[in-house]
Amino acid sequence: MNRISRHPMRRVLAAGVVLVVLVVLFVVRLVDIQVVRASALNEQADEVRSTDPIPVYGTRGEIVDRNGIVLADSVMRYDVALSPKNAKKGPLMREEPDPADPEKTVRVEVPLEQTAAELGAIVGLTGDQVLGIIASELADDPDSDFAYVAKLVDVDTYEKIRALDIPWVVQYPHPSRSYPNGAVGGNLLGWVGDEGTAQAGLELGQDACLASEDGEVTYIPSLQDWVEIPGTEVVHKQAKDGGKLQLTIDSDLQWEVQRIAEAQRLAVGAEWATVTVMEAKTGKLLAVADVPTVDPNDPAATDSADRGSRTFTAPFEPGSTFKAVTAASLEDAGKANPLSQVIAPYSYDAPNGANFRDSFYHEDTPYTLTGALIDSSNTATAKFGELLTDQQRFEYMQKFGFGRVSEVGFPAEASGDLNGGPDEWDNQTKYTTMFGQGLTATAVQIASAYQTIANGGVRMPVQLVEGCTDADGETTSPDVTGTRVISEQAARETSEMLENVYTQGWLKDDWRIPGYRVAAKTGTAQVPDGNGGYRTEYLVSVSGFAPADDPEFVVSVSIMNAVKMNSSAASAPVFQQVMSQVLKKYRTIPSGAPAPDLPALW
Amino acid sequence: MSALPVQGALAPAPIRRRAWIPEILRPAPDRAARPKPRLAYAVIAVSGVVVIALAQLMLSIAVTQGAYEIDGYELSQAKLSRQQQTLSEDLDRVQSPQYLAQNAEALGMVPNTNPVFLRLSDGAVLGQPAAAGGGAAASASLVPNVLISGVPLVTEQTAGETATVGGQGAGLGGAVVEPAAPAAPPPAGGSLPTPTTH
Repeated sequence: MNRISRHPMRRVLAAGVVLVVLVVLFVVRLVDIQVVRASALNEQADEVRSTDPIPVYGTRGEIVDRNGIVLADSVMRYDVALSPKNAKKGPLMREEPDPADPEKTVRVEVPLEQTAAELGAIVGLTGDQVLGIIASELADDPDSDFAYVAKLVDVDTYEKIRALDIPWVVQYPHPSRSYPNGAVGGNLLGWVGDEGTAQAGLELGQDACLASEDGEVTYIPSLQDWVEIPGTEVVHKQAKDGGKLQLTIDSDLQWEVQRIAEAQRLAVGAEWATVTVMEAKTGKLLAVADVPTVDPNDPAATDSADRGSRTFTAPFEPGSTFKAVTAASLEDAGKANPLSQVIAPYSYDAPNGANFRDSFYHEDTPYTLTGALIDSSNTATAKFGELLTDQQRFEYMQKFGFGRVSEVGFPAEASGDLNGGPDEWDNQTKYTTMFGQGLTATAVQIASAYQTIANGGVRMPVQLVEGCTDADGETTSPDVTGTRVISEQAARETSEMLENVYTQGWLKDDWRIPGYRVAAKTGTAQVPDGNGGYRTEYLVSVSGFAPADDPEFVVSVSIMNAVKMNSSAASAPVFQQVMSQVLKKYRTIPSGAPAPDLPALW
Repeated sequence: MSALPVQGALAPAPIRRRAWIPEILRPAPDRAARPKPRLAYAVIAVSGVVVIALAQLMLSIAVTQGAYEIDGYELSQAKLSRQQQTLSEDLDRVQSPQYLAQNAEALGMVPNTNPVFLRLSDGAVLGQPAAAGGGAAASASLVPNVLISGVPLVTEQTAGETATVGGQGAGLGGAVVEPAAPAAPPPAGGSLPTPTTH
């Protein structure tokens, strides 16, 4: 003690040196464990203690209609798999009620054949088929431990298989998609493939809104009974739910429109038909029917060409419905009014050398612009159309929305083809574009053009999606600013002319909706054969809106190659039924005053 | 010690120095006179450790017990959510327009496409009334829905039966429980029952 007290610094130094050495040792060890060998050690620890990463499924967003009715929903399905190796090991033991004493149970031996038959009965196979799966897997690989019995079975089947309690059968969750309304809107919705990838329609086009992300967790279970030890869960990746997509479609109306369209398609033996219903004041699509329609629950049942939405993807030469666009352009440019006059021949030799005829024979006729529309005279329309330059008409077409994809941006949506513009039009095309041949448009573009006329000359962006609400409740909606295409007066006068087409045209008895003022125009267009000529088939169409005194709804009908009735008389009943249904459904008050009468001839 | 007076002579304040000396020069305590550590302290310290260890043990047991409880609840939650999914799928498909239309047709209803309204404020009839035309067109095949194939229509159900979908909902411990079946539907086919007032 004396010695130490004589050299107090030595003692402190010795202790200090020991301390420093110890600390350095610890730090080195710490860095070694925590940094240098960290990943290896973690892996080693995880192997021993932790579970494999367990997927946490994010829910793909649902698609609902304007009223919140679910059109596409995420559901959990299950894949049933078995272990052939273990199945072959021997019969099962199972507790069953004792026939002698119902209170007690006895252990009975269940042979593989019986288990296979029970399992097969639930998933819709015979016992032999299940045994066949086991046998063929074992033939390939005697140690085979995995074979699917059934994929995507529903919850009910899952519960039944669970109840069988077969140790060599495993069921894996498999998120899937269900479309409770079947083919209602199936053309628009598209579907999702078995592996969870969007395949078509809005599922594909709006995947950014709908898609979810799966997460991953691990935890440390108790070795004895596999129960999670509290506080050991590690979230490696947070699962993320998809957003909810709301459409402007009304599912009830959509069903009714599809029903009407399909009934007429079958009645007239047509290849396909499309019907578009649009709100005149907002450009929102209320129903878009494409028949035949795919049932997204079972897309394979429908011919692959019929699985999409032709309204958006199949451009056609619109024919006479396009004359309304020409007339509206003339009105807006101040070159004509409903009573402007021409003398139209049956066959017209245009100054530039083009030649074309009307679809019906007539002597030289003194048509007003209204009359040109009522009788759908190509020559009269052309004589009026000459009053505008080709460039002017081209610009109007573009302003009406032709030649570019609509704001909907549907997957594989077509832009239609204006054949380049006036510089590239040949002499014949310069005239035929006045009455809707020599250019192509989609059904939705035609509907949008009529919406522009119905809405006082203001074209609203075509809207199919009301908005997307993401998992955090934040809603994004598409832009809805209208653009003026023609003056209000031009729109009103065009509307009045179309009303006279409705009241005086040759279909006036076929499409009458008592009590309402309706404006409409038919079209019977030849279909290009792709080699510069035309096929013998026609695409018949009707587009119009009602009530004409205060337009609310635009309906556009196209029927392709109606073999039993190859004229627009095939599409008129569809227009009449759909428009009646729309007016009735939305409680539209019937018009008071009758339509103004405009003379067709002078 | 001999250096002290020198330091004291140098120091300017002798009074302070005198007060300082007794503090530094204290007699070393006698070793034997040190008080013995009392047993009580040891008891308190050891029992504290024991109590802490016990508490930790109890907590750990409680947490573990909770783990099993949570596991049990999670299992039943999974089962219930499966049941909920089955039921909501059933509900969604019997809500579908196809199913409603088929039922309406089975009950002999026909659509009247003619829009007419009765204005309640003055009793005015808006539009031109017309009788519903045609028979009930079978719409089932026009707008397909594979989900409702095999679901019995309201006319095909006997009293007390509910619309279970292709065996859906069975085996869930009688989860699909609805109040009594709707009143017997009017006979399908033939003429519609019409009111006698006009």
